[in-house]
Amino acid sequence: MAWFTDRHFFLLAVSLYGLCAVHSVFLWRKGFRRDDHVIFFLLLAGFALHTTAMFKRGLRLDACPVNNLYEATTFLLWALALACLAVGLLPRLKFLGAFASPVLFAVGVFALMPSLDPPHGPKPDFSNWLTSLHAATILLAYGALGLGAVAAGMFLLQRRNLKEHKVSAVLSVFPSIQRLEMISARLVFAGFVLFTVGLAAGHELPRKADVSFFFDPKVLWSVLMWLVYLELQVAHKFFGRSSRNFAVGVIVAFVFLLLTFWITNLDSPLHHP
Amino acid sequence: MAGAGGAGFAGALRVEPSTFNLQSSTLISVVVIGLNHRTSPVELRERFAFADEKIPGALQALRESGVASEAVILSTCNRVEIYAATASAPEAAFAGLKKFLVTHHAFDGPLNDELYTFAEPQSLQHLFKVASGLDSMVVGETEIFGQLKQAYELALAHQHTGARLNRAFQRAFNVAKHIRTETNIQRGSVSVMSAAVELAEKIFSSLARHEVLVIGAGETSEKTARALQSRGVKKITVTNRSPERAAALAAELGGRAVPFENWPEEFERIDIAISSTAAPQHILDRAKLEPLMKRRRNRPLLLIDLAVPRDIDPAVNALDNVYLYNVDDLQSVADDYLNLRKEEIVRCEKIIAEKVAALLEANKFSDADGRGR
Repeated sequence: MAWFTDRHFFLLAVSLYGLCAVHSVFLWRKGFRRDDHVIFFLLLAGFALHTTAMFKRGLRLDACPVNNLYEATTFLLWALALACLAVGLLPRLKFLGAFASPVLFAVGVFALMPSLDPPHGPKPDFSNWLTSLHAATILLAYGALGLGAVAAGMFLLQRRNLKEHKVSAVLSVFPSIQRLEMISARLVFAGFVLFTVGLAAGHELPRKADVSFFFDPKVLWSVLMWLVYLELQVAHKFFGRSSRNFAVGVIVAFVFLLLTFWITNLDSPLHHP
Repeated sequence: MAGAGGAGFAGALRVEPSTFNLQSSTLISVVVIGLNHRTSPVELRERFAFADEKIPGALQALRESGVASEAVILSTCNRVEIYAATASAPEAAFAGLKKFLVTHHAFDGPLNDELYTFAEPQSLQHLFKVASGLDSMVVGETEIFGQLKQAYELALAHQHTGARLNRAFQRAFNVAKHIRTETNIQRGSVSVMSAAVELAEKIFSSLARHEVLVIGAGETSEKTARALQSRGVKKITVTNRSPERAAALAAELGGRAVPFENWPEEFERIDIAISSTAAPQHILDRAKLEPLMKRRRNRPLLLIDLAVPRDIDPAVNALDNVYLYNVDDLQSVADDYLNLRKEEIVRCEKIIAEKVAALLEANKFSDADGRGR
């Protein structure tokens, strides 16, 4: 089984996320009328394979596997799947997986592009604990922000159904929209805190003398994302921004994050010394 | 409503055992005779209804007549049914039971299709359906389960049941519980009031923390407020053009009354408003609600408009965080739930068919042992 690499395990995990997404379409068509365990267990099986893939890569590198875009993306998706499974244990929240699985599948397929996983050069240096802290907190933050966007999506769907007097709003076993809004806001806050810690840890990391921290494209992008999430929360909490606009903002911000983080990563001298 | 029941009927109804084929070799089976909301009008049902206190006497008379060896009488506002275990051939048993019903209630009018009769296995299927609420006016309702249980326990307490009916009724109760947990037959709200409560629960995390404003102290809004109270609402404010009526309803609901001209000021605090005034035009429109919503800092607001003509301008539903439902919207939710329940009937009937087959199989074994008689 030596030929069965960590990428194969990840491929299987992405396939299960895909199955989960297909099953979600059927649940959507049925109006999410019954609590569904299939989604949860498909996600759990995918997560187990996903963890095995990361574990194998970590053992091969003998280090935390977040050194190229493939690894960073798999870590991000792992954090998102973990958050989904944890929150999915709460009553009426198993359907988070139905909303998250299309994201896990699409980004997983993207991560499998060979160009994102070039052969490793010198063995990455994770002797500094701050490096591990930086990588782990940033990627967990992405996971929390992603799940916040998923909960915001559920909120918007349920809100629209209630507004339009669709019977599916009442027949579905979704939580109340107030609870969905609260879950989304708390996940965004948790992601924001982790993001802040990750950025602060990144600032303290040793770097070459000729590389500027504050003018690095990835740092500038991260600061922009940090400000976007700060604005979203402050406007919602203190300036009465409507729940709908907050939810739309959370989704747009995460889609922007997903679409741009790999560009800035590739373009960052700090991340590609 | 019940007729002159009692042991006297036994003599009047006594029929020679040969008429009913009461031979020792004949197996006992369960038969049903009855009339319900589908087959007969209320005027007829009330003629055949049994008063609770007269049921033991009627059962005694029925058994003494020789028509049935075991019997249970179910008498509710929607149905009157006799479940009997008999060794007679079904047709003979039906004739005897019909005669008993007519004589017991001194009924002299015509009876055509109002009475229905079932022999095994349909009689058992009918019993299981009744216990599960499948035969009720509101499909899936649970009240009938309690009524059937009460009817059975009454017959059991007076020793009018035996092995056959005991087993049939115990199975019926188990099947009803099974159907309740395994299907959606009892899911959802099938009345306007309960649909309103369910909607509120889809918007707010916990109703206990939210205050309700009742505008117009009508009967429907009172019932809706009570339904919300039953699900945890603690604070209720009532307003009405007549302050006395508002105060009276507020006292009944354990809430407080506010003058009718001041109700818009309450919008800063409340999260659910139930309106059912007799006003000829809208009492709440977008222009009035928009500034109030700003003061609420965009907290969700559920507006339930039960008035005809409507009290609340439908345009307010376009406002963010406002959820407006009128009586038709709520009725449509209730109707959809009812349709969902009806869709479940096929699943329930499949379960019932399996359970009846299992019961008949079990009866066969006990008949062979000589325990089923």
